Amino acid sequence: MNDLMALDRRSLIQQMLALAGAGAAVGFSPAALAKAAARAKPYLSPTHYALVTAVADTIIPRTDTPGAVDAGVPATFDALIANWASPDRRHQLSHALGEIDALAREKKGMGFAQLSATERLALLTPYDAEALQVVPSPAGGRGLSMMRGPTFANPGYGKLKELIVILYYISETALTHELTYDHTPGEWLPSVPVTPDTRPSGGAGLF
Amino acid sequence: MFDAIVIGSGMSGAIAAKELCERGLKTLVIERGRKIEHGVSYTDSLQPWELPNAGMVPEEEVARDYPVQSHCYAMTSANKAFWVKDSDHPYSTPADKPFDWIRGNHLGGRSLMWGRQSYRLSPMDFEANAKDGHGSDWPIRYDDLAPWYDHIERFIGVAGSKEGLAQLPDGEFLPPFALNDAEVLFKQAVESKFPGRNVIPGRVANLSKAQPHHEELGRVSCQVRSLCERGCSYGAYHSSLSSSLPAATRTGNLTIVTDAIVHSIVHDPKTGKVTGVRVIDANTKQGQLYEAKIIFSCASTIGTTQILLGSTSEAFPNGLANRSDMVGRNLMDHLYGLTVAGVLPKGPNTFYKGRRPTGLYIPRFRNVSEPGSFLRGYGYQGAASRMGWRSAALGKPGLGTDIKDRTRKLGPWMLYISGFGEMLPNPENRVTLHPTRTDKWGIPIVHIECAFGSNEQAMTKQIIADGKAMVEAAGGMVVNTSATPGTPGLGIHEMGTACMGKDPAKSVLNGFNQAHDIPNLFITDGSAMASSGCQNPSLTYMALSARAAHHATEFLRGGKI
Repeated sequence: MNDLMALDRRSLIQQMLALAGAGAAVGFSPAALAKAAARAKPYLSPTHYALVTAVADTIIPRTDTPGAVDAGVPATFDALIANWASPDRRHQLSHALGEIDALAREKKGMGFAQLSATERLALLTPYDAEALQVVPSPAGGRGLSMMRGPTFANPGYGKLKELIVILYYISETALTHELTYDHTPGEWLPSVPVTPDTRPSGGAGLF
Repeated sequence: MFDAIVIGSGMSGAIAAKELCERGLKTLVIERGRKIEHGVSYTDSLQPWELPNAGMVPEEEVARDYPVQSHCYAMTSANKAFWVKDSDHPYSTPADKPFDWIRGNHLGGRSLMWGRQSYRLSPMDFEANAKDGHGSDWPIRYDDLAPWYDHIERFIGVAGSKEGLAQLPDGEFLPPFALNDAEVLFKQAVESKFPGRNVIPGRVANLSKAQPHHEELGRVSCQVRSLCERGCSYGAYHSSLSSSLPAATRTGNLTIVTDAIVHSIVHDPKTGKVTGVRVIDANTKQGQLYEAKIIFSCASTIGTTQILLGSTSEAFPNGLANRSDMVGRNLMDHLYGLTVAGVLPKGPNTFYKGRRPTGLYIPRFRNVSEPGSFLRGYGYQGAASRMGWRSAALGKPGLGTDIKDRTRKLGPWMLYISGFGEMLPNPENRVTLHPTRTDKWGIPIVHIECAFGSNEQAMTKQIIADGKAMVEAAGGMVVNTSATPGTPGLGIHEMGTACMGKDPAKSVLNGFNQAHDIPNLFITDGSAMASSGCQNPSLTYMALSARAAHHATEFLRGGKI
């Protein structure tokens, strides 16, 4: 490891400490979560926005590195709903969020966004495992089958999670703290040794 | 009055224009799309987090405007302006024979978004039709085109390795983008277990090392970003905008009109020659006539076909240069999207730096060094890479630290290879004009009828079987197989509808890409192809364009046309 890399690691650790603040070990409280995810004029209703924020924070929480809320995922997700999603897609995602909220009310007697981070994780983990069981894809369809991806038992939840995860990993935050991204590598080196510090490279490409 | 008109500014047209201009001909390029500019019209500076809608085109917009174009792997929210709106540019197909016609109407055409893979056809490709009787016998052989391949490779810049393979001739290459360690392992496994098969670096029109003649045009070496289809501000891959049009412009002989949709080519029955091109302004719908001594049609395969079939007269009631009735017939694409992917559990413990603009290539071996139960053959493109964040994060259930931890780890090596198979010329695979429907400029839309036949079906099975065997030979565990070819057209290698041939009764163009029926009409886009080979065809279109421009100029100067 050279000096520059050491310096980079140190500065990363400092940023993480600055980000983490008090209470990071147990995750966001509902109020802190709302504050962290605030967006000037969300497209989603306040209830749905809070729910998306809680789901995003459960899927990718702040740990020793920033999480989805730190990376602004609730706001970018909200923008996707407003600018990208079709009415059918909005309905699908809204329904998927509603199901998670209903599960919380059934099991815990309160909305998902009102639960503690630990409770949210405990509730969503088995739900996630069941929802993402791969089922046979319907036959036919045009285009390339490999581009269509797998079909999940609960496709609405599958899409919700996929969008949150993608928005996180293409964020500047994740591409700085989790993966690496160099917009202009400048050279092709076909063989580079792997070290304990090697991290995967990110970006928007398929591979 | 111009010396020459070139219809289309894409891969073929811009090279034809450059070659004509460099020979002193005052040349007009007519482009149906809008003007875009090198650099300023590109979106390659966008960081991943700056991509509109995370790179996704809005769903309602896809359904309304891009139901076909959105099937192209390269289309994102960052470059959707490089694709036509299907809603504005309709065509028809039989309900049971879909065809995906992928297009970009703008200056430079699809040279902006092409895959840049650049392979020569080989002697056996030019002999294939004569040998098995499908299609028209090419009126040229490999040796006729070889010096023009040299010429084009030098000009555009092709990174590649010399391999000495008869079925994939070497060229004038820049240094290759070397195989990574897992690909080297794959190469060793395949070449030792399957003698006669080869795994080589993909040959690609990106400047691995820019030469002075590239730098003169403002082009610099590839920065290994793999953002090519957004346009490259470095000019590191060949496109009309980075390379051929600037070369044409510096001669002082080039004029370009954009937003000019060709209605028809005008034929003078007294002289037997074409005299000009009628266009409709895309915005004002005003008509205009441009005249020239020679005309090159490089409007893309289906575009040229549409123009020829729409240019009717007493002399040519079935379409210009169509006395053979072959205009529109023999539409071909490549078998595409036949992919085998496998994880290499024992891959090397190394990584790589950079996002290389190519991968590996496996040249054809069926009916070369190994028999096939079908005619012709196929090659594979592919790559090995460390499995990326998407598969790590989304490949299985899990939340929280589970996702974060596994996505931070370098993934296992994933190897994929994807077959590109030769499609036989078949006169029933055909482009015609729709009997009643017209577009918003009043031009009859094309009707495309194209399907794979029994030879392609047999080939498809073998592509997948061979693909699996090779992935497994390298210790790969096959995890995904796409055994159904993409919809015809999706290979974006459509060609063949104004085929070259020796017999004027059975082909449209002679050995100089000159219409048998009309001495001053030349066609050098994909429609000229008498057979498709299995190689990516743009390099051949460019070589044919340069060669035809050379001969057309000689004919003109010699008073022959």
